[in-house]
Amino acid sequence: MANMKIKAKEKDGVVGVKAMFTSLMADKEEAEKKKIASEFITQIVAKNNGNVVFEVTTSGFMAENPLFKFSYKGKAGDKLEITTTDNGGKTETETEVVK
Amino acid sequence: MDRRKFLGVSIAAAAALIAPVTELKAVDFRATSPKAFAAEHVPEAIKEMFGTAGLKETDKIKFTAPKLAENGGSIPLTIQSDLDLESIAIFQDANPRSTTAVFTIPKDAIIDYEFRIKLRKTAVVTIVAKGRDGVLYTTFKEIDVSIGGCGG
Repeated sequence: MANMKIKAKEKDGVVGVKAMFTSLMADKEEAEKKKIASEFITQIVAKNNGNVVFEVTTSGFMAENPLFKFSYKGKAGDKLEITTTDNGGKTETETEVVK
Repeated sequence: MDRRKFLGVSIAAAAALIAPVTELKAVDFRATSPKAFAAEHVPEAIKEMFGTAGLKETDKIKFTAPKLAENGGSIPLTIQSDLDLESIAIFQDANPRSTTAVFTIPKDAIIDYEFRIKLRKTAVVTIVAKGRDGVLYTTFKEIDVSIGGCGG
């Protein structure tokens, strides 16, 4: 699973971010029912130019392919970096320039 | 060293000591309070996450959720607030474990989050937020989940 889509747009000094992650978000019980391996994202951290602007610890009870919307004070041209960690400890990072 | 110079040096030293504190670091709640993520019931989970302090009900946290969700697999929730909060946690009592997500809020952040959760059945979703002053705020909403995708 190596996918995330990030959209970041600045308006009046506020950057609105939409981030979609590809994950089954299957917790233990659900994985057993579907006979698949349990897999879910445990943490998402967003950094703007190195400063943490958004951070969430998640569980398997978020919807499949979780979508997060959030905003923070920033400007166009900033570098937004989002890192996810899954239950197996695997991390993925993707960067996007704020438009 | 004359007195004026000495004072200047000590002020600079003090500033250097204070500065690193503002450095932001990621908090992994799964590591700091693992029991909260294993708790089956909401009160238990809140106790593990935030301690036993009393909760204060508030309308300053705007929590929107559909009253009736036809698809329990994807229920959109939004949380907005102007309060100076440190963290926000979402709990529900429908799934095997009650802690759903915990947001850590950096300083000067805009609290405006939208995300989606799963619910197995009709449940009360509880939001508990901790202010930077240590006060625990709470708000909740009941969401009806119609199983089988047939609304009503």
